[in-house]
Formats: sequence, structure tokens, C-alpha cells
Amino acid sequence: MAENKENPQVETGALTGGQVETHDVLAGSEEWAPIETKLVLGSLIAAAIALIVGLLIVPTSVLH
Amino acid sequence: MAKTHRAWYSGMLSTEDWWAVWLGLTFFGLGLLTLAGIDLVGWIAYPKKWVMNLPDGAIPKKIVPVGKAFYALGGKYSLTSKAFYKSLGPIGSILVTYVVFTIATTIGAYFQKWDVKRYFIGWTFIFFATYLVWFIGHHAFFSASVVDLKKSHFPEMFTLSLGGGASFILALLVGLIIGNFFKPLARYLSEAAKPEWFIKTAIVFLGVKVGYLPIKAAASSQKLGHVLADLTIDLFIAGAAATIVAYLIFWPGVYTISRKLFNLPRKTAAVLASAISICGVSAAVATGGAVRAKPIVSIMVSALVVVYAVIELVILPGVFTHLWPGPSDPMVAGSAMGMAVKTDGADAAAGELLDEFMRAEVERNSNGAVVWPEGVITVSAVMTKIWIDMFIGLWAFILALVWVYKIEAREGERVPFSEVWFRFPKFVIGYFIAWFVYLGIFFGPGQGGAAEGMAILKAAKAGAVPVEKGMRKLFFMLTFMSLGIITDFKQLHEAKFGKMVWVYFIALFLFIIPVAVIIAYLFHHGMQLPNVAGTALSYLMITLQTTFS
Repeated sequence: MAENKENPQVETGALTGGQVETHDVLAGSEEWAPIETKLVLGSLIAAAIALIVGLLIVPTSVLH
Repeated sequence: MAKTHRAWYSGMLSTEDWWAVWLGLTFFGLGLLTLAGIDLVGWIAYPKKWVMNLPDGAIPKKIVPVGKAFYALGGKYSLTSKAFYKSLGPIGSILVTYVVFTIATTIGAYFQKWDVKRYFIGWTFIFFATYLVWFIGHHAFFSASVVDLKKSHFPEMFTLSLGGGASFILALLVGLIIGNFFKPLARYLSEAAKPEWFIKTAIVFLGVKVGYLPIKAAASSQKLGHVLADLTIDLFIAGAAATIVAYLIFWPGVYTISRKLFNLPRKTAAVLASAISICGVSAAVATGGAVRAKPIVSIMVSALVVVYAVIELVILPGVFTHLWPGPSDPMVAGSAMGMAVKTDGADAAAGELLDEFMRAEVERNSNGAVVWPEGVITVSAVMTKIWIDMFIGLWAFILALVWVYKIEAREGERVPFSEVWFRFPKFVIGYFIAWFVYLGIFFGPGQGGAAEGMAILKAAKAGAVPVEKGMRKLFFMLTFMSLGIITDFKQLHEAKFGKMVWVYFIALFLFIIPVAVIIAYLFHHGMQLPNVAGTALSYLMITLQTTFS
């Protein structure tokens, strides 16, 4: 991964080092992995459950 | 992350978070001494709306001549030292306020290992600039409402009716001018311009406000006291539910936008998603640590968070007041603010501004027939934010687990549960202590506002008002000023932020804010603010009608 590569310019304190590293953290996107799908979907499913439970038990929700 | 071995109490004397607790609870504790007949907080200098000279026939009630533009709150509210605090006068009370807070905050600066000399000079500049702006912002032209003019028997005149909001906006503007046009000065002042510290302290003071709300209301009617006590507890519950749902939608949404639309790398996307979704800087830092992103990612995202928070602070209170959700749903607006604005400082400040705008708006629209109690909308904004702040520790922990065990599959590494505690925002502890102690006084020795408990409640009020009103607003003002000083809009123009600026913009304005308002609506729509205008009887009737209709 791009993030794991050491940047020699940062180590030498070169003024341009920050810019190179900045570019580095914006570039080098990895392929979308199945674990990311799981993370996103898992979060949304948890949100849906929390929403239903919350609407049922919170006295000021629109369901009351 | 997994190899750190910190004691649970580490940072208690060296972090901003803990020093907000110490500072907040010190003055909260001094305020409680009024229960024993000792008033040590009444010196705090507080502004009044003013004009240079009163017009003929006017009385100095809500609007006073310039010479009385500040007063020590104890001169009005103290039960035991009223004459002494009155004798301080405007200049005396400001000087005492300066001396007390200079000592208190400089001790904090020393333990946090800041440059004490630079802090002292910077603090002195910021303190007096803040009071000057507070003074200007309370000129009747900026701040007076229709009701203020009527009560002071003023002739009809045009005013901006911004209430205390004018001072906040001016403080932010002055700070931004310093931060963007006087950069060497801003760099020097940055040692004392600490918006996160100031706002966290103000939030501990806000805990006093939340607990004091029923006490204040009970002075008019016992029933209203209970209504406000119930309202704050409702906000607590609804805020928790709304925050959990919102966060679980925000994070995957922003992460997907960052990855799929803008093609950002995983770690950068994770940090950005946390920052835009939750509580900005601390979320960026916590997530950066959890997923082991390069420090530059957290730094870049944090800079963006601060700049966007200021933009939100300027735009959202007006939009929420005049466009959507509007004064018909003040609690929805407050709660949505808490979910939309990404730094504690900007959120609480935006909540305070929204509170001022909304109250001024309903007062103007109803010609003074409807007046809402001050601070409840701010509480709704801060309540959701506090839940979000608490949630970040848990979320950083979950992300750390996912990254360590699934995405990067680090051999032999484990994530200790103690990380949740280290990520926990400690100032929240001060907020809850202050809230529950005053709530305990109301329901305990105060007997829920019954006649037998009124003596205790009056004594509690004398100590609570200087803290929840004077000190809280002073620290809000300091926050606005400091936020401006450290904000450099030039950062947004720098190409190196590139895609991040656009991810933030699109995610915030097209996704986070609309979803925040919808979720806030689902959980807070049933809440209405009591009307506190008029006599005690009509006051109670309108209140019950408004609350239970």
C-alpha cells in the first residue's frame, strides 16, 4: 500500500516533503474490498435497527 | 495503538480535555457555596444592552445608558454580598473577572506545558478584545428586540434584533480579521487562542445551565419547573437515539462517497468519514490512530474541519431559523445543529447563535406574546454533540478492530478495550456532574419547586446564575474570538487539499445536513418549548397548552 512506503524527503526535513506526502495520501486508492462492503452494510443495518428501536422507545419520536 | 500502556488517569494534569473539567468544576463548586451562604462567584462582569443616551421618556430597564453597559451579576442575584458586588461597577467587575480567570487559566497553561509568558500576553489581549467586542455587540442597534424597546419605553426604532448573537458574530469576525490579515499577531496569539479548551469549559458551565433550568422555572411556577426538568431529560434520551442512528448512517455514507466517487485510499477515506460524520478533529485524530493513517492525514482533515465548522457556524443558524426547520421546530433545529457542525466549539457556538436567532424570531413574529426560555435550544445542540463525542471512542475502537483483524490482518496484535476510555471526551464528565448536582438540588432539598424548598432553590440560583450565564457566555465569546484567530481561509485555496475539499463540501451539504435534520425531526418533533411570556397564570396556561398540545 502507498501509505506504508517511507518518504525519504520527510526524513531529511525537505520543505517539499509535506507536499509529496500529501499527494501520497490522496493517491494510490486500493480496490474496493469485500470487507468494506461488510463494514458499510453492517453499519447501515445497525442504523436501521437502531432507528426502529429508537422510534419505538423514545417518547418524543414521531411514532408517539 | 495496541502497545500503549497508559494508566487510566494519565493526562489528568496535562490535557486540555481534563483542564476543562478542572476549570469548569472549580467554578461550579464555588457557585455551590452559595448554599452555605458564601458567594464567591458574583464578580463576573456581564453586559447589558445599551445606548449612548436614553431618549426622553425611556427607562433604563432592558436598555441602559452606556455607563451601565456592564455589571457584576452578583450585584443583581447575590443573596449575601449584593452591595459589595454592586460597588465593583463595570470596570471593577471586568478587572476582577480578568484577574480570576487569568490566574485560573494560566495555571492550566502551565500544567499543559504551554509557553506561560506567551499564553499570559496572548490571553490578556484576547480577554480584553473579547470584552470590547461584547460591549459593542450589545449596542441596542445590534441586540435590542421589539420587547426590549417596549419594556424600556423606547420610541419605535430600527434594530437588528440579534440579541446576544450580534456579539458572537462580531467576535468571530474580529478573530477572522486577525487570523487572516494580521498573521504574525495571530501566530503569537495562537498560544492563548484555544477554542476547544474554552468551549469544553463552557460546556461544563452549560451543565450548570441544564440543571438550573427547572430551578429557574420553579421561581415562576412549580409546574413549569417540572416541565423543563422533563424536557432536558427528554433531550438526553432523544439525543442519544438520534446520534446513534445518524452516526451509523453518516459514516458509511461519507466513506462510500470518498472511496467510490472520489477514489481516495482507504485510510484517508476512513479518517475523512469520521471527521465529517462525527466530531471533527478528535474523530480525525482517533480514527487516524485506529487505522494507523499517516499523521498528515489527520492534520489535513483537522484543518478542513475547523474551516468548514466556521462556515457552518456562519450559515446554519440563519438557515435553520429562517428556512428549514424554522421556529416551528426549535428542538429539531438544535439537535440537527449538534449532528451537523463538526467541532465542539463551533457546534456549541452555533447552538447558542441559533438559540438567540430563534428566540428573537418568535418574539418578533408574535409581537412579544411568545417568549422562549433562554438556552434550551443550545442545550439541544450540545446534547447530541456530547453523545457523538462519547461515541467516537467506541467507533475508533471498532475501526481499530476491523483494520487490525480484517483489513490489514496484523499478526499477534490486539486492541485493548481501555482505548475506549482514552478516547472518551473527559469534559463530558464535568458536564454531567454539574447537571445532575443541580437537578439533585431541585428534586432533593429543593423539593421539586414546592414552597418549602424555595429558600434552598434561591440560594442555589445565586451561585448558578453567575456560572451558567456570565461565565458560560464569556467562554463562548472567547471561543468565537479564538476560533476566528486560528482559522486561515487560505488553507482552502491550497491545491494540496484537492479532492478532500470537495468530498467534505458534497458530503456535508448534500448528505450530512439534510439527513441530520430528518433524523432530528424523527426523534425531536414532539418537543416544544414552553412560553414564558406574561403573568404567572397566563404563563403557566400557555406553557401547559404549548407543551402538551
